[in-house]
Amino acid sequence: MEANHGVPEGLYYTKEHEWARIGPGSVSVGITEYAAKTLNDVVYLSLPSVGQDVEQLGTFGTVESIKAVSELYAPLSGKVTKVNSELSNHPELVNKSPYQDGWIIEITPSNLANEKGRLLDSKQYTDFLASPDH
Amino acid sequence: MKQTPLHDYHVKHGKLAEFAGYEMPLWYTSILEEHLAVRNKAGIFDVSHMGRVALDGPDAPKLVELLVPTSASSQAPGKSFYTLLLNQKGGIIDDLIVMRTELGYLLVINAANKSKDLAHIQANSEGYDVNINDITDSTTMIAVQGPEATQALQPLASIELSQIKRYTHVNAMVGDSRATITRTGYTGEDGFEVILLDTGLQDGSVATAVWADLSTRAKPSGLGARDSLRVEAGLPLYGSDIDDTTNPFEAELSWVVTKGKTGYIGGESLASFSNAPLSRVRRGIVLDEKIPRHGFAVTDSQNEVIGTVTSGSFSPILKKGIALAYVEPAHSGIGEAVDVMVRDSPAHGAITKPPFYDEKFFGWKRLKQ
Repeated sequence: MEANHGVPEGLYYTKEHEWARIGPGSVSVGITEYAAKTLNDVVYLSLPSVGQDVEQLGTFGTVESIKAVSELYAPLSGKVTKVNSELSNHPELVNKSPYQDGWIIEITPSNLANEKGRLLDSKQYTDFLASPDH
Repeated sequence: MKQTPLHDYHVKHGKLAEFAGYEMPLWYTSILEEHLAVRNKAGIFDVSHMGRVALDGPDAPKLVELLVPTSASSQAPGKSFYTLLLNQKGGIIDDLIVMRTELGYLLVINAANKSKDLAHIQANSEGYDVNINDITDSTTMIAVQGPEATQALQPLASIELSQIKRYTHVNAMVGDSRATITRTGYTGEDGFEVILLDTGLQDGSVATAVWADLSTRAKPSGLGARDSLRVEAGLPLYGSDIDDTTNPFEAELSWVVTKGKTGYIGGESLASFSNAPLSRVRRGIVLDEKIPRHGFAVTDSQNEVIGTVTSGSFSPILKKGIALAYVEPAHSGIGEAVDVMVRDSPAHGAITKPPFYDEKFFGWKRLKQ
């Protein structure tokens, strides 16, 4: 079953399959299309509260399909400023639109300059998906 | 890894995973879609990995009576029944479907237990004039499940399917193969399990043609939906909800034990604890939010552990997390409030008796439209 895991340019990625869209002053975070397809139907997310601090590559919640539970890892350290409340009633948005309507949290990064270099760009993430060790 | 006769189809269309030594489809398009197809219309499952063992010969009836707590001789030829293989202590070696045929018995056993069951059957057949014939690899088994299962299977069958009542079976042609069709399943829905007798691992072309034709009327479904459907129906899975330390009474399976039957393996143990108080009992739990998983603790309002989740899933019908669990009898009342510890935080729920869906609208007992 070959799937096209289109990896958008301009975003940053973790090896745990989260993406980060770095905007002026805030960063939105979600999981990649590859992660969403591997999980199959997302039916429940357990998410942090606004105001909570997250640490780069620390867990900030879980995403669950019918069969499996996966931890969510923060791409960057910072404070949670928004949580996508649509997901509590429509967790399927993570599958339908992983890079847009299925965003999960927004954070204000606290150490962006130092931490950004530890993330993968779209080219590196695409190569990582093609490698055997993901 | 072992394969089934339909392996090529699974490779082409499915997301594969290892199960009981077989490479099997976890899903084809989506567990959710496949689950709902079976509840609302019809789905098909490749269940060829399950063990199929024929017992015949003059002493086959006596051997089956020795092996199971259900009175097998009182079942007329053509009956299919759910029962258990027990050890001497009354623990469950496997759960299975037994079909009484004209010639003897056909046992359908769990894939993961095949060699263990065969060894158990063989060891107890000493002195019996009986043939034990493992026909798993020479046959193919397909489950057709859902309220439209009859419409899905009928065009391929040489007989009128409405004459097969629930928990009975017939022999007929299905496609180009002789087949045993039994009206049973593992989803809670009406449906059939079809054993294609002339097409197996050697040459799966007839099985592949049957599957391809069925797939135009029923949605191919994988092990993911098979599991979420059976949890929603409250059906136990061997290795998760029952094993050789479980007795049939606490598992709520005492209905398979025929009253007054003696002389079967495990019978004396069952008699000794049939009147003893249970230390735990199998129940369903529905959570208000979050999803319970295997191994999570069940607690009461004082945070005391009163049980353990043995199967957890998300119910697409209730849109809630559901569990099969063993709980202390004092906390097993229907409607009793309990918590399930989901990764260190309690999730509120209530004890129920499965199935989890409303039987007026779902499952084989549903009111006909």
